[in-house]
Amino acid sequence: MNWRVLRLEGVGKDFDRADGGVAQVLRDVTLSVERGSFFTLLGPSGCGKSTLLNIVAGFEETTTGGVSLDDMTVTGPGTDRTVIFQDVSNALFPWMNARENVEFGPKMARLSAQVRKERADRYLRLVGLDADGGKFPFELSGGMKQRIQIARALANDPDILLMDEPFAALDAITKKHLQVEFRKIWDETGKTIFYITHDIFEALLLSTHLAVMTAGPEAGIKEVFRIDLEEPRSPSNPDFAAMFSRVESLIDEEVQRMRAR
Amino acid sequence: MYAGKLARLSVSILVFVGAWWTSSGTFFESAIVPSPVSVAEKLAEMIWNTKLFAHLGASFTRIILGYALGCVIGITVGVATGAIRLARDLIEPPLEFCRNIPPVALIPLVVSIFGIGEIGKYFIISYAAGIAVLFNTAAGVLSTPQIRVRAALCLGARKRDVFVRIVLPSAWPHILTGLRLALGFSFMGVVAAEMLAADQGIGFLIMQSTNIIAPAEMFVGFLMLGSFGLITDQLFRMTIHRLMRRYMIPLA
Repeated sequence: MNWRVLRLEGVGKDFDRADGGVAQVLRDVTLSVERGSFFTLLGPSGCGKSTLLNIVAGFEETTTGGVSLDDMTVTGPGTDRTVIFQDVSNALFPWMNARENVEFGPKMARLSAQVRKERADRYLRLVGLDADGGKFPFELSGGMKQRIQIARALANDPDILLMDEPFAALDAITKKHLQVEFRKIWDETGKTIFYITHDIFEALLLSTHLAVMTAGPEAGIKEVFRIDLEEPRSPSNPDFAAMFSRVESLIDEEVQRMRAR
Repeated sequence: MYAGKLARLSVSILVFVGAWWTSSGTFFESAIVPSPVSVAEKLAEMIWNTKLFAHLGASFTRIILGYALGCVIGITVGVATGAIRLARDLIEPPLEFCRNIPPVALIPLVVSIFGIGEIGKYFIISYAAGIAVLFNTAAGVLSTPQIRVRAALCLGARKRDVFVRIVLPSAWPHILTGLRLALGFSFMGVVAAEMLAADQGIGFLIMQSTNIIAPAEMFVGFLMLGSFGLITDQLFRMTIHRLMRRYMIPLA
């Protein structure tokens, strides 16, 4: 599909609360994500980041506003947008081995066995697990499972990867490796990434664009940055450090505000 | 390892049989609890004159037919109640009520409606089995993780694909648990039904033995229930292990 911009316009989301009231989780979120960019949404826990991602994925409807690819409105889940979930144990299909998981999308697209095999080979190799196709998810470590989930998403050839804190549940060493590798994968595949995290370091390491959210309820966008740091990105770079403290102070402001309420 | 396990198993069985043997004729009168030897003799006699096979055949036919019927209905209705909210809201309240009525309690009513023929027994067994299968199936269908369904939707699965390829496989472990429980309930159901209204079957054998003062026959009945229950359960587990292993793997 040929689109240029993913737009969120005036997106608001209310949830019915258990006590009968209404919780306004998101309010008037407006964002533009250009094709090919690595767009990260950063915000304190519980601010509604995941809700926003679920809306872009088409899992949840907006209360106000909408999401569109150029002038095509998003009305539900679609193969142009594939989500990478943090909870990878539930996201992978446990009764399918790694290769079958990766082939699921192509199978749904009714591609031939030959093409499916080629796709699986290619993306298992891309994530460095070409020798592990026959293993079942329960035989794989958390990091390997997340690689399989990335391969599975890419094998479906979506335009946008929607990533919901994909590395947050991994140990520090695995996380670091996967961040670096994923950045390479992004370079190679040129996919548009819509990435959610509460980890400032990760955001600065990976993204081309960064949007900081305000604290919920009624969360919105506080500020949007373009990140032009020297490559390869490194925390020892003074610009990186300066950017880090700038973003950190923005987040701290929001956390203070949330506590004050 | 294996030898140690075998040794413990032998000790366990020997203690059990030994306790039975020594209590018979001492703690219990042998006219009430006969010794293992006299039960074995009775068993041999009943095999020799083929009386045992008639009882076993009658009970097994009832179990197989009643169980199969109960499972088919239980899975079908269970899937519907799990997957369709309207079905759930309509069907579940009366079923929640019915699950508290044990099959045995229904026997007088069943006998009044169907008489003492076979249909009433199939009803009792399929009721006992069906309820267990139904609730487990519905729970299994409902317990499919939302993320799993969403992942499939992102990858291009249509509604039907999601149901066949995601929801059903996710529910298999629950359904199989239901099927296995139901097998046990079928054994209970058949004995209850035969004790009250039958002229053949293991339940009838047990009930009749007190009337004709043949305690060994009663214990042959126990022996049959215990061993065939054990054998079918083991066979069931082995079959699941063979055929359904990929659905039963831990979700680590």
